[in-house]
Amino acid sequence: MPCGEYFTSYEDRMGLVRWRIERIAFVLALPIPFLIPFVVSGGMLSTITRIYIMIIAVLGLHVILGYAGEIVLAQGAFMAIGAYTAVRVVTELGAGMIPAMILGGLLTAMVAVIFGLPSWRVKGFYIAISTLALQFIAEWFFEMGGRYEVIHGGTQQSMPREIGLIGDSLTIASRTEQYFLAFFVMAIFAILTLNLSRTGIARTFRGIHENDLSSAVLGIDVFRNKLLAYAIGGFMIGVSGALFAYYIGFVDPTHYTIDMTLEHYVMLLLGGIGRVWGVITGVSVISLLERGVRDFIAAYAADAAAIDAVFFGVVIIIVLAVEPKGLLAALGQIKDYFRKWPYAY
Amino acid sequence: MSNIATFFEVFVRGLGLGAIYSLVAMGFVLIYKVTGVLNFAQGQFALLGAYLVAILAPPALIFLELPAALAVVVTIVVGLLLGVVLERVIFRHFIGEPVLSVIIVTLALGGIITGGIQFFFGRDSRAYPATLQFDWSVPLLFGVDLNASFALGVALSLVVVLALMAFFRYTVMGSILRACSSDQQAAMVLGVSIERTIVLSWAISIAITSVGGILLAMSQGGTSFGIYGVGILIFAAVVFGGLDSIPGAFIGAIVVGLLQEVGDYYVAPVVGAGFGEVLPMLLLVVVILVMPYGLFGTERIERL
Repeated sequence: MPCGEYFTSYEDRMGLVRWRIERIAFVLALPIPFLIPFVVSGGMLSTITRIYIMIIAVLGLHVILGYAGEIVLAQGAFMAIGAYTAVRVVTELGAGMIPAMILGGLLTAMVAVIFGLPSWRVKGFYIAISTLALQFIAEWFFEMGGRYEVIHGGTQQSMPREIGLIGDSLTIASRTEQYFLAFFVMAIFAILTLNLSRTGIARTFRGIHENDLSSAVLGIDVFRNKLLAYAIGGFMIGVSGALFAYYIGFVDPTHYTIDMTLEHYVMLLLGGIGRVWGVITGVSVISLLERGVRDFIAAYAADAAAIDAVFFGVVIIIVLAVEPKGLLAALGQIKDYFRKWPYAY
Repeated sequence: MSNIATFFEVFVRGLGLGAIYSLVAMGFVLIYKVTGVLNFAQGQFALLGAYLVAILAPPALIFLELPAALAVVVTIVVGLLLGVVLERVIFRHFIGEPVLSVIIVTLALGGIITGGIQFFFGRDSRAYPATLQFDWSVPLLFGVDLNASFALGVALSLVVVLALMAFFRYTVMGSILRACSSDQQAAMVLGVSIERTIVLSWAISIAITSVGGILLAMSQGGTSFGIYGVGILIFAAVVFGGLDSIPGAFIGAIVVGLLQEVGDYYVAPVVGAGFGEVLPMLLLVVVILVMPYGLFGTERIERL
């Protein structure tokens, strides 16, 4: 990377791939996701698929929290709504995976907007509390089997392993095909989010994040833009929930508890709020670390799942105390150190 | 007649439950008022208190065969110490950090506590020793009895709310805490040790909260893992009463207790079991929409 900025036009400055080294890295890295299924074994492939799915969900959170600055504690509930919708669309309408994902996302976006309505008058932790209420209500709602079966279709349902993308055509079944589905959806949403941050929409969001009062004075409709952030983020989380249901193979309320919210926050904060690469880094690091820790603990103790929450908790407290800007910022500092080395002045 | 009697019974139970909730809610408000930390782990502290009694009371620790009443005292002391330690180790780093960091830290703390309890002691509920299960009760109108733990809860919560209000009003330490809550920097300039006040409020808060947790467990005959749900219920209480008002927390908690019992008894048969705990959540959302600063909360005025 050169030691100054040599951009001659705004288009260069705002480009996605700006430096020669980035172009080289892009070309070299591009084949990797396509080669992974042929290199790694089944367990690892499944973990990577899970990483892709989680990236989508955390990207949704990133739009709401990182861009618009609204604290949402209902990740579990949003994903559950997407998942249950997807299962119903697939098993009863037989519409296939892509319509299931879109419908799941749309319904989640709707619920997210409804629970974003309090942002009309309050902000900050009041929003956090009201979305926590949504999480609580959603858990109860999905736990209630018989009475609300008309709506959610039963507390526990299974998703077919073999599924068509649209209707019955383009059937996918194997782990590899599942991997590619997750990868493509993830790539689409990552590029969308990346591009979103370069448009006026996300600039408005950031303005509201920094100071909502000033943005209102400048003529931004704060309430409408907050709801827009809820809608976009909610859609992504819903799609991720639908994919997650397909990945697991069945839906059960115990997957979508407050622990999932905590997990996503750890991922987002570890990577660093505000940048798509931070999300990708955070999710990958935490998922791989979690896999390693779980294997390690399972060798010594029976109840390894309980330790997960402790692990996330400790990681998040340390990250927030040591480097609140996340892993990406820490890497940037290291890079800066070496660029100026040995005369750091 | 019997209709009125059942309603009265539901009402009394709700009152008792609300009184116990109010202990936890006041612990929450105390922390928020003085330190500005919105503690999402309050329910987990109650759970911790409830489990500590169950762990300490039976002869589980061989060298420490504590009688039940002493176990309660030890738990409260542990709560006080925990408050000190938490402030020293964790919350000191987060003075002046953005709201998000603090919220996430308390959420993480809650995860650590529930995960730790689940890992070391399992999710099963544990019965309390017989000496902690009182068989007396207070007879009231219509042949309705107030359960012993609820009666204790009502008495204790009244004592605590009055003591806290008097403490804030009439003692020097109380006015120091009030000074800190209104302007930390100004208080610091005047020679107040912020660290000490924060330690004090955490210690008192966790002690009160563990008492609330113990009483809640007693009313159920033993501790169960679900107690930490109270941490979410009290949000409804404190938002209703105003986030930084101790009498508001008390009244809000009573309302939540009543709503929960009414929801469980009258509404749940229609919409499904467990609705009692959802009804306060619906109240919460409505309150946030209609009057975000609650009954007694101070309204925040913003300007550029």
